[in-house]
Amino acid sequence: MNKRIISARHVGPIKHVAAVALLAASAAFAASNAQAWTLKEAAQPYSGTTIKAIFLDRPGYKAAQTLIPQFEKETGIKVRWEVIPYENTREKEVLNFVGGGDQDVVLVDVVWIGEFASNKWLVPIKKFTDDTKLADPSLNLKGFFPILLDSFGTWDKVTYGLPFDNYSGLMFYNKCMLKDAGFDEPPKTWDELLNTYAPKLTKGDKFAFALQSRRGETQSADSFMRVLWPNGGSLLDAKFKSNLLSPQSQAGLEYRQKLMKYMPPGIVDFDHAEAVNALAQGQVAMITEWSAFYPTLTDPSKSKIGNCLAITTEPKGPAGLKPALGGFSLAVNAKSNAKKQAASWLFIQWITSEAMAKPYLEAGGVPARMAIYQDKAVQDKYPFVKPMVESWQGGVPDYRPRFPEWPAVSEVIGEWGSKMMLGQVTVKEGAQTIGQKTEDILKKAGYYDGKKPLLK
Amino acid sequence: MAKGTAISATQARGPRKRARPLGVLPRSPAFWFLIPAIAALAVIGIYPLLLALYNSFHQYKLADLASGTPFVGIDNYVATLTDPSFWGALGRTAFFLCLTLPIEVALGLFAALMLHRTDLRFMRAAARVSLVIPMATTYAVVGLIGRLIFNRQFGVANYLTGLFGIPPQDWLADPTLAFVSVMIMDIWQWTPFCALIMLAGLSMVPKEAEEAARLETPKWSMILWHLQRPYLLPGLTAILILRSADMLKMFDAVFTMTRGGPGTATEFISVYIQRVGFRLFDQGMASAQAIILLILTIVLSRLYIRFVYREAA
Repeated sequence: MNKRIISARHVGPIKHVAAVALLAASAAFAASNAQAWTLKEAAQPYSGTTIKAIFLDRPGYKAAQTLIPQFEKETGIKVRWEVIPYENTREKEVLNFVGGGDQDVVLVDVVWIGEFASNKWLVPIKKFTDDTKLADPSLNLKGFFPILLDSFGTWDKVTYGLPFDNYSGLMFYNKCMLKDAGFDEPPKTWDELLNTYAPKLTKGDKFAFALQSRRGETQSADSFMRVLWPNGGSLLDAKFKSNLLSPQSQAGLEYRQKLMKYMPPGIVDFDHAEAVNALAQGQVAMITEWSAFYPTLTDPSKSKIGNCLAITTEPKGPAGLKPALGGFSLAVNAKSNAKKQAASWLFIQWITSEAMAKPYLEAGGVPARMAIYQDKAVQDKYPFVKPMVESWQGGVPDYRPRFPEWPAVSEVIGEWGSKMMLGQVTVKEGAQTIGQKTEDILKKAGYYDGKKPLLK
Repeated sequence: MAKGTAISATQARGPRKRARPLGVLPRSPAFWFLIPAIAALAVIGIYPLLLALYNSFHQYKLADLASGTPFVGIDNYVATLTDPSFWGALGRTAFFLCLTLPIEVALGLFAALMLHRTDLRFMRAAARVSLVIPMATTYAVVGLIGRLIFNRQFGVANYLTGLFGIPPQDWLADPTLAFVSVMIMDIWQWTPFCALIMLAGLSMVPKEAEEAARLETPKWSMILWHLQRPYLLPGLTAILILRSADMLKMFDAVFTMTRGGPGTATEFISVYIQRVGFRLFDQGMASAQAIILLILTIVLSRLYIRFVYREAA
C-alpha cells in the first residue's frame, strides 16, 4: 500500500523524465539520421539503374539537363529523357501508362493530376517519404509554395508529385514604348489597360497588347480563363454547373472582344512563341505570359527588347489580382518496377530540393521553393521574382479545373472560344454552347448524380 | 526434250499433290514467297483493322479503363452519325478534296506535258529531280514550312502579294484563308506526284504513233485527247485513289500548320478523329469513326475504278 502510495506520488515526475528522455533520444536519432543520410548512400542500391523521363523544349527542362550530370555522378543512376512538344505529352504519357511503356519519371501538368491520380498511374509520395532510406530528412515539403504543391502535385488530399517547372502569369511590357506614349508605369487594372493605355499604344503596325489565343490549351487556359477570373467570373459554380452566363463571366468575355481591337491581326493564331516574339520584336507593348519566358525575352539572340523589358503582375480586375497559374510536377510512375521507382524518387527529390533551387534558377529554371526567393540578391538579379511570388501568394488554385474531364472541356473551349473571338458566334451564344457541352461532359462523368465527388 | 521434262515434272507433281494428306503445307515456292507478305499484312493491316472493328462496338476509354470496356452494340456508330462535328469535319474534307484534287491533277498534267517535250534535256532532267523534293518532305515539316510562308509579318506569301499592292493578309488566322493556305501547301507537295505518274503514262505512248499524230495535227489538245488519254487513265485512276485516301487521312501537315483552326476552319476528318482518339481517348468512338471513313474510302475507290479505269480498259 505504501509502495503504491510512493509510486503514485512519483509516477508523474518519472513519466515526465521518461518523456523528455524519449524526446531527446528521438531528436538525437533524427539528428544523427539527418547527418547520416546522403544521396550517395541512398542511391547506392540503385547505381547503374536507368530511369526515363519526358521533358519539354522549355527553359526549365534545359536547366535540368545541365544539372543532371551532377546527379548521375553522385548516384550512378542514369537519367534519360525525351523532349517532346507539349501538345503530344499527355497523349504520350497516357499511352505509356496504358500500353506499359518505359517512362519512370512522369511529367504532370497542373490539369492532368486529377486524371493521372484517379487512374492510379502515380505513386503517392508517402511511400517514399515514409522510407527513411529514401527520404531526404531535409526534404521539407512545407518549403514549397503551398499553392504549387497543392495544385500541381496533390489530388484529393494525397500528394503525388513535387512542383518542378513552375509558372505564374505575369505582365511583360516594353517600358520604352509606354514612356513614348506618356506612361511612366504599367496599367494596374485591366480596365485601365483597355481604356487608357491601349488607344495610345496602338498605331499603324504597333499594338498595345497580345493575348495568345491559338486553338488548344492556349485558347482555353491562356486566353479564355484569363479574362474570366479577374472579372469575378468562372467556368463552373460550386455545384459544377456552368457559370459562363453570369454577368461577371460575360463581362470578362466581352472585355476580351473589346481588347482584340488593340491586338495584332491574327491573334487567334498566336501561340506562346508568337506572343513572346511580338513583344521581343517591338510589335506589341504588353503581353501577359508565363514567368518561364523571362530567359527567352532577355536572350539577345531571340529578343530585341533589351533594357526596355519590364515585368509586373498581371493587371487587377474588379475581383482583384487573379493571375494565370500553370506548371508541372514530377511524379513516379506506378507501373515502373520498385528499383526504378526508388531511383526516380531520388531524382525528383534532388532536382526539386532546397539545395538545388539556386543552381536550378541560375540554369534557367523556376524552382518552387520559397526560401530561394527571400534572398535579396536573387530578387535583384531576377526581376520576375517579386511579381511572381506576389502572384503565387494571391493566385487561384483551381484556375483551370484539374479534374480528369478537363482535356475534354478544354477541347470544347478551344473550338468555341476561337469562334467567339472570330465573331462566328456571339459571346452569349459561345458561352451557352461551351456551358452546355461542359455540363454534358460532367453529367456523363457522374458529377451530377453523386457518383463522383465535386473535386477540381 | 524440255517439253518432255516439263510434262514429266507435271506428272510427277500430280500424284504427290493427290497423295498429300490434309494439314500438310504445300511445297510450292510461291506459297513460301507469299508468306512474309501475308504475315506483314496481317500484323500491320488486318489485325489493327479487326481490333478497331472490335473496339468500335465497345466502350473503350483509355483514360477511364476503371469503368471497363462493355459491349455497347452500335452506340458508337449512332453517336458518330448523329454528331454534327463529325459531319462538319467530313463535309470540310469533301470540300477540300473536290477543290484540291482537280487542281493537282490539272497542274500535274501540265507539268507532265512540259516534261514530255523532246528538247531541253538538261532542264527536263533537273525538273524531274526537283519534283521529288516536295514529296520527300515529311508532312509535319510541310506544315511548319506553311506556318513560315503564311506568317503575317515575315511570310513569303504576304511579300509576294505585296508586290501587287495587296495589303498583308492574316493567312492562318482567317478561316477562309487558312483553308486556302492548307490547300496551297497540299498542292505544292502533291502536284509533283501527279506529274510523275502522268509522265510515266505519257512515256508509254508509242513514239511512232505520237510522231505520226504530230504530223497529222499541230493541235496538242487533239493529240492529248485521242492518243495520250488512254495511256493516262490508269495512272489517273491511281492518282485519284491514292490522293483521295491521303486527303481523307491528312493529319500531320494540318495539325502543325493550323491545329485544325481557326475555329474549325481546317478541322478535317482525320484531325477530328485524332482529337476523339488521342485527346479525349475515346478509342471506341474514334474506331467507329475510322471504320466509317474506311467504308467511304472503299466506296470512293470503287467509283473511281468503275468510272475512270473502265474507260481506260
